[in-house]
Parts: sequence; structure tokens; C-alpha cells
Amino acid sequence: MTTTTERPGVVEEAPPTTTIYRRPKSTEGFWGWVTTTDHKKIGIMYGYAAFFFFIVGGVEALLLRIHLASANSEFLTAGAYNALFSMHGATMIFLFVMPASAAFVNYLLPLMIGARDVAFPRLNALSWWAFLFGGIFMYSALFFGTGLAPTGVENVVGNLAEGGRPGGLNFLADMPDGGWFLYQPNAGPDFSPGTGIDFALLGIQILGVASLVAAVNFIVTIFNFRAKGMRLLRMPVFVWMTMVTQFLLLFSLPIIAIALFMATFDRNFGAMFFDATGGGDPILWQHLFWLFGHPEVYILVLPAMGMVSEVLPVFSRKPLFGYSAVIFAGAAIGFLGFGVWAHHMFATGISPVAQAAFGLSTMTIAIPTGIKIFNWMGTMWMGKLRFSTPLLFAIGFVAMFVIGGLSGVTHSIVPSDWQQTDTYYIVAHFHYVLFGGSVFGLFAGIYYWFPKISGRMLGEGLGKVHFWLMFIGFNLTFGPMHWLGLQGMVRRTWKYDPATGLEPWNIAVTVGAFIIALSIAVFIYNWWSSRRRGAPSGLDPWDARTVEWTVPNPTPVYNFATTPVITRLDDFWHRKYTTDDEGRAVRRPEADQMIADLEYDGRNPKTEIHLPAPSYFPLLLASGMPFIGWGIIWHTTTWGLGMVVLGVLLIVSGGIGWALEPLEEAHEEDHPHDEADEDEETHETEGASDVGRASESADTTEPVETS
Amino acid sequence: MSDGAHHTPSTSQYWKIALGLAVITALEVSLYYIDNALELGVLNAAMLIGLSLLKFVVVVGWFMHLRFEKPSLSRFFTGGFILAISLYAVVLGFMAAAVLRS
Amino acid sequence: MTDLAHEGDVTAEDHHDEHESLGMDARKLGMWVFLSSEFLFFGALMTNYLLYSNRPGLADPYPGTIYDIPFTSVSSFVLLMSSLTMVLAHAALERDDQHQTRTWLFATAALGSIFLGGQVFEFYEFITHDGMTLTTSPVASAFYVLTGFHGLHVAIGILMLLSLWGIGHSQGALSDKRGFNVELVGLYWHFVDIIWIVIFTVVYLLSTS
Ligand code: HEM
Ligand SMILES: [Cu+2]
Repeated sequence: MTTTTERPGVVEEAPPTTTIYRRPKSTEGFWGWVTTTDHKKIGIMYGYAAFFFFIVGGVEALLLRIHLASANSEFLTAGAYNALFSMHGATMIFLFVMPASAAFVNYLLPLMIGARDVAFPRLNALSWWAFLFGGIFMYSALFFGTGLAPTGVENVVGNLAEGGRPGGLNFLADMPDGGWFLYQPNAGPDFSPGTGIDFALLGIQILGVASLVAAVNFIVTIFNFRAKGMRLLRMPVFVWMTMVTQFLLLFSLPIIAIALFMATFDRNFGAMFFDATGGGDPILWQHLFWLFGHPEVYILVLPAMGMVSEVLPVFSRKPLFGYSAVIFAGAAIGFLGFGVWAHHMFATGISPVAQAAFGLSTMTIAIPTGIKIFNWMGTMWMGKLRFSTPLLFAIGFVAMFVIGGLSGVTHSIVPSDWQQTDTYYIVAHFHYVLFGGSVFGLFAGIYYWFPKISGRMLGEGLGKVHFWLMFIGFNLTFGPMHWLGLQGMVRRTWKYDPATGLEPWNIAVTVGAFIIALSIAVFIYNWWSSRRRGAPSGLDPWDARTVEWTVPNPTPVYNFATTPVITRLDDFWHRKYTTDDEGRAVRRPEADQMIADLEYDGRNPKTEIHLPAPSYFPLLLASGMPFIGWGIIWHTTTWGLGMVVLGVLLIVSGGIGWALEPLEEAHEEDHPHDEADEDEETHETEGASDVGRASESADTTEPVETS
Repeated sequence: MSDGAHHTPSTSQYWKIALGLAVITALEVSLYYIDNALELGVLNAAMLIGLSLLKFVVVVGWFMHLRFEKPSLSRFFTGGFILAISLYAVVLGFMAAAVLRS
Repeated sequence: MTDLAHEGDVTAEDHHDEHESLGMDARKLGMWVFLSSEFLFFGALMTNYLLYSNRPGLADPYPGTIYDIPFTSVSSFVLLMSSLTMVLAHAALERDDQHQTRTWLFATAALGSIFLGGQVFEFYEFITHDGMTLTTSPVASAFYVLTGFHGLHVAIGILMLLSLWGIGHSQGALSDKRGFNVELVGLYWHFVDIIWIVIFTVVYLLSTS
């Protein structure tokens, strides 16, 4: 690139002083959010975006349920139905549960290990923007995608065979419709000739970049940024589960990246990877997909397991039962998770040896999972339980996850799985683990950590209403799917015959789905009103155990006024409690004073604290990605190629600006900024935000980071 | 930034290592021609793989300084390597077996 | 992409001793962690190639029948030697010999470009002369996508080397203390080289018949 600004004359004497773009100064308001590198703000943005996609995915699910509530329904066209279930799954997995977990990890990980931010704050911002653009890209299919039927097949989109009724929300059929796992050759060029699938392939690719970057970032953070005394075996379980998750991401994302590229090449450039007529092998797709896909299911549930492992001890007022066993089990799950993928392929004719091997390896996963369940129960056992909303959700998690885990074990028995696969029984299984597991766990976390972001409590009364509605609605929705499936209701079926007698339970399922929707409405209201009017939480509303609760709520920008020193597991708890002769916990007399001190000290740092400076480049760099995606889809046109060029230019200029940007105003002591200067800069940043102009405003001189 | 004790090779050692690498490459290429003439089969494959692993290890160990870093780095790295080899070996094994059966 | 900047100085560099950590530069750790995941990336591509190169009955030509081994041996050698120039650049930087650092960086980028040029030429020959394109057969697709992605890695590496070279020129001094530095780019560059070491042996030397 040629944008580098050289400043002849000053080259030799001064240390590097040039930045080619202006650097944002404001940390408030709109641009403050857009350019932030603060892990808390990024976490909050992740959270809201994930929740938005949860609503989108939920509406899609409700449409599906309205359709399926009656046999031979005409509510949706076949094309719309296919697109809806595909996007529902992809949305919930890639755009809701993963980013929602990322929101918690972002917000909590540094706080829990006593750090002021993640290792690479700008990369962190890059992850967030790439995620957002990836999501937008996928849904842009609604406007730009085409859901053509394969040649020779008529009326598949909007199946108009019976009477040719148009409508049926058929415009939705333009979205990707290959299921979340995009099996080939169904999602290949011959059977999905429209562009819809490409939006999924390339969208997940972008999301993968986001997660991969985040994985590197979090791993380095955990290994390198723990506060003094925060040894590995003193870290909260949530941090441990995060670490396992990030390793799973690190090693599974490259696999899916290749699979997605292969399919993209097949569809757009005539490659033959999965084209059986030319000797390609569609089963290869399944191997690659599930090599990623099974670790992925643990990526979805391990963070929730971590959250539940934080919530249960606090509300049982006991330490986690078998801390190291829980951690070991989590690591074992992560490890074994790489060795079971072919259990998704029992019906594809893999060899008997493979079936036996993968059936067995799948069963062994139940062992560490079981260990965790017993540890959680052991934590509650004989505890002084406080049935606040977080605990309710945590218990809901454990109970529902047990059911989902057990049905999982039934699929690991191969002949049994042949009966179950591609029926609603599978749908029941993975909703018990994903919704009953991950989503309940996430809500436990939301109720528990809400005070950290707001300084207020999330309403308890409405919280309990939310929990019970969701619990009842959930079981009414997904419980009956077990027997629907066993009676032969096929998964992903657009229509079923009234003669099968499946309709009554389907009606019940749909009612359940609406009860869940109601519970979410209660939650939204609760959130909205608690944000403004919730009871102030103080520093330690739950009598918590871990260091993130030793700072005031909402968390100050610098997290810790003085970085903490950790002396043991559950450090905060031990500072508040000691044990009497019988081993019971007794609150230390000085505990309340200590908390008051923490509150005061936390708000009044004694020294100036430098924080990572905001930056435009993560956003700039990420914004190039969707353009490359669109460009690939329309690569046969000139403007498509133009889009690729534009995307590459954005990425390269973002990268160059990034590399040249001084890391931060570190060592500012040596170069005090005067206030007027700063104000002026703030104004200018508004203008410089525009990419085109940014590159012209080249000559800003910045203090530099070089030692 | 250099952390920890560095005993990284000197410039002249780098040249020698590179010479070694070049020699191994030459050996590989000649093995290829020898095999064309003599049909060594598995032996040839084993030798070629061995030699390229040797180059791999030399570049990683000396040029990338992995030998001189904290052991945890090599653990990450070899972890990824071994995981990749084992997963893909299983996939290849199964898929090749499926072709043979059909 | 180009940067694994070690930011958040406050949390690490200033107070190194106050932290439990592996005690190594965060950027470097990050680069190694990232590179370890690249094995899975290139591994999947090689798996494709190996799977299809042993599959009978695909459309001709199989890549194994058209490789020009002498040519590829030379370009592999060039890439291997670019690893040498890369370490020399880093060694020069450790002596704080800025001039030599820049020279070796440029040499590395040049050797990388020669390699890349060779690849372009090879593709061109295969397509026009031997009639093997991306769409010929699964094994042809696998060949192009595998070597193409490797080439893309090389190209990104060249871009980073040239940026370093440019920074060195315009700002006078390169330093490993910068977020974007010679050591990181070096690690990346060597990694791309070792991937080629494997590709050269497994894809070229071993699957030719
Ligand atoms: C004890 C633990 C588990 C076992 C033994 C298990 C077993 C299985 C098996 C054998 C299948 C394939 C069924 C088929 O398609 O025929 C399956 C599907 C699935 N599992 Fe699990 N599972 C377990 C835990 C989980 C967890 C924790 C999650 C996610 C958080 C999960 C999510 C899924 C999903 C999403 C599918 C369906 C994939 C699809 O076909 O779309 N499972 N499970
Ligand atoms: Cu699975």
C-alpha cells in the first residue's frame, strides 16, 4: 500500500513519531463505543448484539412452530421453511450462544484474574466487529440472496404444487437453507444453485475469524496476565472452562474454515471437492464439519458450565465440591470432544470398526460429564441454599443438562441411533443440552453478574416469573419432541400427514414455544426496568467468593484501582470468612469495614492508571471482510471484483494504520497532555472517522511507546 | 525483546545451519531420482518423510528459536501438530477404507 | 492481521514482576498459539490432497504426472534460503545493526517474491500447457487450493516484510519492542517455510509417479 506517510527530514533523529491516521481521543458517547478497546464495553456490545440475534432466532423458531402446529400446514412455503430452520440453527449457535459466551468472557475474564484488560485490546475490538459484520453479512442474504431451486426440480421454493398459493412468507426462502451443517451435495452448486448458501459459508467464515482471533487473545490473557498469586489452580472455574473453550476454538476453527473454503470453491469457482459425479466425496464434508462440529457443541456449553460452577457455590454458601475434579473433567471433555465426531455419521455407512470405536468414545464422554454433575450436586448438598434467581437457573441447568446428556448416551448406541437419527428425538436431545444447558446457564450468569455492569440488581420477583415460565415452557416444548421423534416424526419435515396422529403433541410443543417467548418478554421488561430503577447493589450483593466482586459496581474503567494479590482459591470469601472450631464459616468482624474500604479505594485510585487507547483500525479492518464476501459471491461481475478490491484495501489500510499506531499513550508522565490539546483532538476525530478523510489527515504527531 | 537466557546461534552458525538444510534438500531431490530408477517404495517414502521432518525440526528449533524458549511454547506447538496428524490420519484411514470396501 | 500488538502495557510490561505469567512476551506467545492452530488449517488441505491423489478414476491429468520436479526443487530451495535471510535480519537487529536488518528484510521479501513468481509460472504452465485447472478433478482442486493458500500466506508475509522495511526506512529504527516487529514476522515467515517443506515432500516428491 502506498498510504504510508513519510516525513522527510525528521527521519533519523526522532524515535518514530508518525501515525498515518488520527487516533480517537474520546472515550464517551457514540464514538467512544465505536472505537473502544475496553474489554467491558466490548463485552456489553457483544451481549446486546447476541441478545438481538437471540430474538431474531426466536422469531424464526416461532414461525416454524406456528407452521408445524397443524398437519399439512400451508403457513410457510417449503423454501421459507427450509431457510427458517437453517437460519434459526445457525443464528442460535453462531450468533447467539457463542457471542453471548464471548460477552461474559470479555467482561469477566480480566476481572476474574485481576487484570486491567485482555492481552490485546485492539484485537479484541477486531473480534467484536468481525462478529458483528459476520452476522450482518449472513442476514444480508435476506436482501441480496436468491433461493433458486435446482434445475429440473419444480416449485421447491414456495412449493406451489397444490394450488399454487404464493405468499407463505416466501421471501424468506432467499436466506441460506442448507441446515446449520450445510451438508454436501445438498448445499452444493447443483442442488442449491441460488446464492443463499454462500451467505452462510462466507458468513460463518467471517465469524470464525472473529472467534479465532479471540481465542488467541484469551489464551494469552490467561497465561500471561494473571494478578500476582493467581496461580492456575486458584483461577475461578469459569476461567478454566473459558480456557478449555478457547483451545477448542483454536484447534477446531481452522478445520471448518477449510471445509467452508472448499464448499465456497465448489460453488463459486467450479472446484470438484464434493462433486460425486467427478469423483469427489461428500462424506469428506461430514468428516470435516463434525471434526469441528462436535468440539463446537462443547464450545457452546463449557462457558455455561463455568458460570454455573460460579453460581452454585455462592448460593449454597459452600466452596465448590471438588474444584480440581471439575476442572479436570472440563479439560477431559475438551480433549475427548475431539475424538467423537463420527457419532454424527453413524448412518452414513462408516465401517463397523469406526462405528464401534466412535460409539465407545462417545460413551466415555459421559464419565467426565457425570463427574461434573455430581460435583454440582455435592456443592448444593447440605448447603444453606438461597433460592435467588441465579440459583434457580443454575439448578435448571443441571437438571435439564442431565436429561440431554442421557439422551445423548442413547445415541451413542449405534443401532439405537439408526432409529433416532434425523428424527425429533435428536431435536429434543440437542435442545436439552443447548437450551436447557447453555441458555439456562447464560441466564444464571446474567442474573448473577447484572450488578457488575449496572450497579443495580435485576428484579428478583420478575426473575422468578421469568424462570418458571421458561422452565415450564421449555419442557413443554422439548419434552414431547422425544416421543414425537420415537414415533417417527422426521426432523426438518415441512409437512406431516394428519393420519400419523402427531398433531396433538405438535400443538402442545407450539404452545410451549409461546410460553418461552412470554418468559423472554418478561425478562426484557425486567432488564429494561432494572437498568433504571433496580435496587442499588453495592459492592458485594451476593456475598460472593471471587475477585471480580472486590471492585465497585458498575466496574470502573480501570477495573482495579490497585491490582489485587491473590493468596488462595476463593480469595474474597476467605477475606470475609474464617472457620470456627467445628469448621463452620464465621464472618470476620472486620469484613464489613473491608468491603466499605474496597468500595472507597476502588473508586479512588491512588496513582494514575493508563488504559489501552481507543482505535479506529479494528473497525476499519473488520469492515473489509463482508465486502470480500459479497465480492466472492458476485465475482463474475465487475462490481463484484470491485468489492473484493475494496475489501482488501480496507483490510490492508486498517492493518497498516494499526501497525503504525503507537500502542497507547503509555508513559504519558513523560509527555503530559494538556487539556486543551485533548479537547481539540476530540473534535477532529469526528471528521477523521470517515475512512476517506482519515488517510489524508496524516501528520498527527503522537507520543510514542518505544521505551 | 529477549526474555530469559538466550543462547541463540551466531550469524555464522545460521549460515552453517542453512547449508545443512540445503544439503538435506539436495539429498531429498536425489532420493526422488534414485527412487524413479530403483523403485524403493516404502523405504523411499520413509526416508523422504524423515528428511523433511529433520528440516522441519531444524527450522523450528533454531531459526524459530523454539529450542531456546520456555517449554510451554513447544507444548502448544507440538500439541497442535500432533492433534492435526492424529485427527487427519483417522479421517484418511476411514475414508480410504470406505473406498476399498466399495 | 498484521499485528499482535502487545497493548495494555499497564497490565504487563510495567509491572512484570507483579504478575503470574509464563514470563514471555505476550505477542510472541500469541503468535505461537496462532501458528499451532495453522497446523489444523494446512492439515485439512493436505488431507484433501492425499485423499484424492490416491483415488483411482478421476479425470486426467493427475497433478502427480505433470510436476516439474527440478523447477519446484529450485523454488523450494529459494524459499528455504529466505528463512536464512530472515534469521539474519533478526540477528542483525539484535546487534542493533539497522542497516543490515533492512537489507536482509528486503532480501527475504525478494526471495519470497521469487518463490511466488515461480508458483504463478507453475500454475500458468499447468493450466495452459497441461490442461489441469481447478475444475478438472477433485485432486486438481485440492492441489490448487492447498498450494494457493500457501501462496497466499507467502504473499501476506511479503506484505508484512515490506511494511517492516518501509517502517525501518521512514522511521529510522526498527525495534522488537514495537507491537509489529521483526521477530513476530520472522516466526510467521519460518512457519510458512516449514509448511512448504512438508508440501514439497508430501505433495511433490512422494505423490509423483
Ligand atoms: C453426554 C454428552 C453427550 C452425548 C453422549 C451426545 C451424543 C450425541 C450424538 C450421538 C449425536 C448424534 C445424533 C444423530 O444425529 O444421530 C448428538 C447430536 C447433537 N448433540 Fe449431543 N451429545 C452430548 C452432549 C451434547 C452437548 C453438551 C451439546 C451442546 C451443547 C450437544 C449438542 C448436540 C447437537 C447440536 C446435536 C445435533 C447435531 C445435528 O445433527 O444437527 N450434545 N449428540
Ligand atoms: Cu457430537
